[in-house]
Amino acid sequence: MEFKDYYQILGVPRDAGADDIKKAYRKLARRYHPDVSKEADASARMAEVNEANTVLSDPEKRAAYDRLGQEAAHHPGQDFRPPPNWDAGFEFTGAPGAEGLDGAEFSDFFEQLFGRAARAQHAQGRGGAQARGAPPPQRGRDHHASIELDLRDAYHGGEQLLALHGARLDAAGHLVNEQRQLQVTIPKGVRAGQLIRLSGQGGPGTPAGDLFLEVRFKPDARWRAEDRDVYQAVTLAPWEAELGGAIEVQTPGGSTVEVTVPPRWKPGRKLRLRERGIPAATPGDLYLELHVALPAAATPAQQQAYRALAQAFPDFRPRATQGAQGG
Amino acid sequence: MVTHHFLDRALAELLDEPNRLTLEELARSCCMAPGWVVERLEAGLLQGEQSGGRWLFTSSTVLRARRLARLESSFDADPELAALTADLIEEVAVLRQRLRQLEQGVDLP
Repeated sequence: MEFKDYYQILGVPRDAGADDIKKAYRKLARRYHPDVSKEADASARMAEVNEANTVLSDPEKRAAYDRLGQEAAHHPGQDFRPPPNWDAGFEFTGAPGAEGLDGAEFSDFFEQLFGRAARAQHAQGRGGAQARGAPPPQRGRDHHASIELDLRDAYHGGEQLLALHGARLDAAGHLVNEQRQLQVTIPKGVRAGQLIRLSGQGGPGTPAGDLFLEVRFKPDARWRAEDRDVYQAVTLAPWEAELGGAIEVQTPGGSTVEVTVPPRWKPGRKLRLRERGIPAATPGDLYLELHVALPAAATPAQQQAYRALAQAFPDFRPRATQGAQGG
Repeated sequence: MVTHHFLDRALAELLDEPNRLTLEELARSCCMAPGWVVERLEAGLLQGEQSGGRWLFTSSTVLRARRLARLESSFDADPELAALTADLIEEVAVLRQRLRQLEQGVDLP
């Protein structure tokens, strides 16, 4: 286990006062706040900053950590193991609720010293719990993560294989790392911003916590979802756009539908297909956003066709008004 | 430290009608006490629905409650100020989505 230098993480000297620690923490919390930060590793840095603050803002934890730090300083670069009873005389161990909001993201280092592993070991080494031979049952923490799905998964449901890195406590209360793959059945009708709950797949405990996955859809140039409504870009040839007619469209649901495009093109035109959005008791609608593509004039005959078009519309002034409406 | 690898299966449950979180579950999800949730409900900073004498919450409230809890604990923020910040964050998210859509439209053939 690597010794984590919480002072370095917060960028404060070892003799920093409580106010300096709070100030440094808030500055970094603003910088790495997951809702606003644009930095690529913001979540990981925020978790690290939270962890450092949890220890350094608590006088008992900080004092115990400082004593450990002196030990670690004697053996730089070596694998770090806390000595037995390293926290003797400090009163934080066993205090529930010390994990904080993002406790699920605390490092093994923290878990071993201040987290559930530490509490379980202490419980085993002390009176009542030892008599029963096991630490008192404590519910595992809920974990939160996000999952990126294809919009088609919302139409049909699907199977997703998630790679999870977690930890559990063994019978002796030692923290055991787990890298597990979780086969998740995604329910049909899922929407962006919705939470999927996987009962018992969160933090270790009795019972285990739940894992909550916030759904996001992969960006796709073909379509996007707004709540249960889906917007799909459909490209028309100029003659389809102006003359109208029946066209075939492949929907995100996988079906092919025939749609009648009304004649006389209007920029920004949308066609609504009722109840072909994301399935639900009240399904969303599918909106076809119509766009026009100009064919490239690659051959002399095609170039001549454009010239004939220009001659057929001598009064057309595309720059005279907003958009490209015929005049 | 020992590392194990294994494959597990999990049944996913969508947090929406009819599967919503109770007051206690929402509080646990935010690492806060149920009283913390009740105070914010009474102040109108969180929205929930009462059914059969119980509070029930959907996904969007869970995300908002966690955001409020994070803002309050990170910055010792006043609940009203945290809610205002959460409102702005949510508004920015909506505007960013609209911007992406407009940019996507410009790129279309």
